Amino acid sequence: MKQHTTRMTLTIDNKTVTADTGASILDVARQNGIDIPTLCWHEQLSPHGGCRMCIVEVEGLSHFPTACTTPAADGMIVRTHTAQIREMRAEILQLFLSEHTASCLVCDEQEECREYMSTVRKAGVTTGCRYCPKDGQCELQAVTESLGVRDIIYPIYYRGIPVETEDPFYDRDYNLCILCGRCVRMCQEVRLADVLAYKHRGRDAIIGPAFARTHLEAGCEFCGACVSVCPTGTLREKARAWEGAPDREEITTCTFCGVGCQVRLLVKEDRIIGSLPADDPTVNQGQLCVKGRFCNTELVNGHQRIRHPYRRENDIAWDVSWDAAFELIAEKLRSSAPERTGMLVSSNLTNEDLYVAQKFMRVVMKTHHIDSTARLFYGSGFSAYLTLMDRAVPLSAIRDASAVLMVGLDTRFSRSVVGVAIRTAMKRGIRMFTLHSREHTFSLNADVWLQPEVGEEYRYVEALVRLAAGEDVTDRSIPADMRVRLADVARALSESDSPVILVGAEFLQYDSSRAFLAAVAQLADHVGAGVLTLPAQNNLYGSLLSGSFPELLPGMRPTADAARLQKLESLWGTSLTGLTDAWNADHLLRDDCAMQFLYAVGALPPVHRGAAKFTVFQNMYPPEPYCSADLVLPTAAATETDGSFLNGERRVQRVRRAVAPPGIALPDWDILCRLARHMGAEGFAFTRPEEIREEMAQVIPGFGEAEIDARGILPLAFDAVMHVSGNGTAQRPPDSDHPFILHSSVVEHTHRGFPLAAWVEGSRILFPEGVLDISAEDARALGLRDGDSVHVSGASFEEIYPVRIVRQQPRGALHASILESALTHPNPQPVSVRKADV
Amino acid sequence: MSEYQPVILPDIPDLDRIDVYEQHGGYQHIRKSLGMAPDDVIGIVKESGLRGRGGAAFPTGLKWSFMPTDGEKPNYLCVNGDESEPGSFKDRQIFEFNPHLMIEGILIAGYALRIKAAYIYIRGEYEKWVQMVEKAVADAYAKGYVGEKMKETFGTDFSCEIYVHRGAGAYICGEESSLMNSIEGIRPYPRVKPPFPAQVGLWGCPTTINNVETIANVPLIIERGADWYKNIGAEKHPGPILYGISGHVNKPGVYELPTGMLLTELIHDVAGGVPGDKKIKMVIPGGSSMPPLRGDQLEGVRMDAESLKEIGSAIGTAGIMVMDEDTDLTRILTRITHFYKVESCGQCTPCREGTGWMLKVFHRLLDGEGEPKDLDLLHSVAKNIEGNTVCALGDAAAWPVKFTIERFRDELEAELSR
Repeated sequence: MKQHTTRMTLTIDNKTVTADTGASILDVARQNGIDIPTLCWHEQLSPHGGCRMCIVEVEGLSHFPTACTTPAADGMIVRTHTAQIREMRAEILQLFLSEHTASCLVCDEQEECREYMSTVRKAGVTTGCRYCPKDGQCELQAVTESLGVRDIIYPIYYRGIPVETEDPFYDRDYNLCILCGRCVRMCQEVRLADVLAYKHRGRDAIIGPAFARTHLEAGCEFCGACVSVCPTGTLREKARAWEGAPDREEITTCTFCGVGCQVRLLVKEDRIIGSLPADDPTVNQGQLCVKGRFCNTELVNGHQRIRHPYRRENDIAWDVSWDAAFELIAEKLRSSAPERTGMLVSSNLTNEDLYVAQKFMRVVMKTHHIDSTARLFYGSGFSAYLTLMDRAVPLSAIRDASAVLMVGLDTRFSRSVVGVAIRTAMKRGIRMFTLHSREHTFSLNADVWLQPEVGEEYRYVEALVRLAAGEDVTDRSIPADMRVRLADVARALSESDSPVILVGAEFLQYDSSRAFLAAVAQLADHVGAGVLTLPAQNNLYGSLLSGSFPELLPGMRPTADAARLQKLESLWGTSLTGLTDAWNADHLLRDDCAMQFLYAVGALPPVHRGAAKFTVFQNMYPPEPYCSADLVLPTAAATETDGSFLNGERRVQRVRRAVAPPGIALPDWDILCRLARHMGAEGFAFTRPEEIREEMAQVIPGFGEAEIDARGILPLAFDAVMHVSGNGTAQRPPDSDHPFILHSSVVEHTHRGFPLAAWVEGSRILFPEGVLDISAEDARALGLRDGDSVHVSGASFEEIYPVRIVRQQPRGALHASILESALTHPNPQPVSVRKADV
Repeated sequence: MSEYQPVILPDIPDLDRIDVYEQHGGYQHIRKSLGMAPDDVIGIVKESGLRGRGGAAFPTGLKWSFMPTDGEKPNYLCVNGDESEPGSFKDRQIFEFNPHLMIEGILIAGYALRIKAAYIYIRGEYEKWVQMVEKAVADAYAKGYVGEKMKETFGTDFSCEIYVHRGAGAYICGEESSLMNSIEGIRPYPRVKPPFPAQVGLWGCPTTINNVETIANVPLIIERGADWYKNIGAEKHPGPILYGISGHVNKPGVYELPTGMLLTELIHDVAGGVPGDKKIKMVIPGGSSMPPLRGDQLEGVRMDAESLKEIGSAIGTAGIMVMDEDTDLTRILTRITHFYKVESCGQCTPCREGTGWMLKVFHRLLDGEGEPKDLDLLHSVAKNIEGNTVCALGDAAAWPVKFTIERFRDELEAELSR
């Protein structure tokens, strides 16, 4: 038998070329600089062979095979641009164009039109037509030009398909569709989401979710991967449709959750016009979720962005200069006692911002009073969560896992790239289990869905722990069929070589969360599982590491660590003895919280409860209507500053400045440094984030520039004790006055304290904030329709919510999605509900 | 040929009943096959010269030899009974009158191909025949001829399951790779080849797809030997074949006769000639997608793959459609094109768009608004579809139009001027 060689030699267009066996003719041609036109082919997808643009002549074959689907073979003689092939391509292209609103592609006035055309969007008079948002970036246009097609022998036929605009984030005009099927293959092969499909056949074939469902109903994640691969203007991003081609791109890290995806920001005229997944092999593998793909652009471009510092007093607001603002803060700070001064940050800020913030409080204000809103998010489970998070295995563990258990994780709109990784692993045959009280992305396709009642999640994990330890489940409150499922899951996890437990951000605000998280840790110990917590906050680790908590010094050392204090004293050239650390963010929820000065940096303080005498609000957007502030300072978005983040794996990643901040806004670290200098403090002469990192590297391992560029996982261990609010109040059963049980969850789709729904239009539909989910039966009994307002009252709170009727919601149970600042305890608690009088 | 005795559809009453089939030697050929090595079974089929009856007339034994013998994945057999080509209605006769011959053929092929399971794919509109085949398969299971029990019945290690799968009414599912996608429950777009089904077929496993009639020939070859078989009919395309004769003939129907019959004999003697003794304008010899022949071109034409290829047509499914001198070819082509336009799956541009445009032009011709240059346009669209699609059904849509314009331009122009 002839020996198999790994290389082959063939002739393409009279050129002798060599290639690895297995490559298609198209691959070999492109590797050798021979261009063959394609439309349905895409590098990320399997070849389709449908568009027929890449037909070639192969000696010895009577027909013309498509280069994308035909494997190259040793000795093959291929011709790619004979007159006959060019003519056939042109004729096939005309078939496309006959049904495509293609006037712009073959119009006689094309040249002049481009030169003199002005916008048709706002002006009543135009000098040219603009049919298609893809003009100038359209692959059909490029192929038409390269084949030199100027006439169409067929009459132009308009299909008259209504343009679909009702879904968030992207529109669809199937009149422009050439049925290349890239979107379908992307959705099915790469995302493994199976939302898009071909419907009908032949000339009536059209793309969309099967059975006439909307994209929302069909489970679309709105990841936009289909939009990215569309060669024509069919799929178009609402916010970017008419922007044209970007001037440049900048690679940065997405800031919407703890996964830390790498994104390519598209920049035009110093403005972000879009964000696309970067081709990153480590974290997101060229994928994004709806937030990274679509929300970024709208969030950073919102016209309500603060551009100028302003003062507000007695309902009157006026702009002030930076100097005036600093002087005002300095004056207020000088008159505030350290023990009644505090800074609230969010764990969305960069490491550099957070480091400077804590240094400012400790060096200038002589207090440890800096805290992150993460404390409010995790509540009584905070310490337990951090302990669990400390065990983080890398994301690549999912790829190597033989069984995966997801607890409280819904990857539809957040961490979708993890969902893709799990589905890819499932295709490989791993066992996948999900524990979640509500319907979610994996409830149907997991091997087992453990579905506890809302608030009962911890019982299920505790049962798994007992089963893994070889004991029986004694908890009779768990239904028999679920006990069978639990036994199955426990067995599979125990038998698996490398199980992974993925912890999401749901049901972490219930009073049972401490028990829940402790049980997860026990379970991981019993079955030898790796744990990966993927925090809702993109830089939770960074906020711990930078020391942005009253209990933690930079380097994640406890405040009482004398050696660390000494090191910092010498580094900072100041005394750190006797600093107060009695305050934390929980105090803001107390009625007796009497702060003299509260500085909120990238966070929404819950001031409607315990107002501070003077509040500085430093953020991208104005505080109203969520809270009020006396002084508002404009900050740069994450796309407008350099810095670094640590994702949930503890991987250190860069964020890069792509554009300038609006107005006279400045990065958070810069504002704080200027303020410190204004107040005469030493050690704040930083002019660039690198300089901050240089100082950080002296107390925090892994912060050298080379280490950051390597995007490695920092070997950190968390051993401090965090103060946790004791809100584990025993749950009271419903009574006649309060017949419903209300569970509240903090929406995880927030940035710098704001719900994305506040500033990004499409997210209002996908992940609204401040809504109450109610079962259809209860809604009927109360005479409620979707969107009606209800008045909810418990023993110690009253609130008005719009309702959302949810099929899966159990009867008698309510679920509210709210902000950290609106959280009340006990959670869950008995409440009464009535239709609000409007 | 009156001495020919049918063997696929023999004149035996109630042969569809398993007991009658058994009385006539049924389920003994599988027993005989199991006594041979699988490769010897393939050898006999190769030797017999059996060629596929589903359209392409590919040598069956050769096709079988492509299957791996020691793969890690299970092998499968799909039996194609989608029979959606206009002018083809012969597999239905086997389903109705001799289903156990097909089942026994599946078992023999299954043994030779070392399969785990076989799928009989029947077109959705054949509801009645689906039920008949389901009953026959159930009876064969009950008798222990199929499934796990066959090990005991035949004293063998080999067993295979047989499933009956009903199509949902799409012509494209007759294309072998679409058929596999349809069984898998996904959209039946044809698959890109390579890989071929014998490497990556049903559920990614090695698969052979054979037509119903092809499979029904197999027990006869085992019973009577390759020599007997290859001496029937045409030398290079031997065996009994089911001719489906329709259109302007006095006795339309399915006739089992040897391959290589004279087309004129089939039309005039077997099918009783053309009503009113009219002249024949056109004959499509192998189902609607095959290139048509002119009425004055039929003398001496024999119905086998090689002979038809020589005169520029193909045997297809041996569904002979006869059209007399009064036939309006424009209407015929419009009807045929309408069929392919509706049945085009939409994967490839030339077929998806081209069939639609051809139909539009035909409607223009029928409306009396056509011009001779429209025939050139139609010819150019058809040529663009031909050979330019993932599956062979693009050719199926193109050939009737292309060849009719080439061979009947005078007729079409005359119709145009009327």
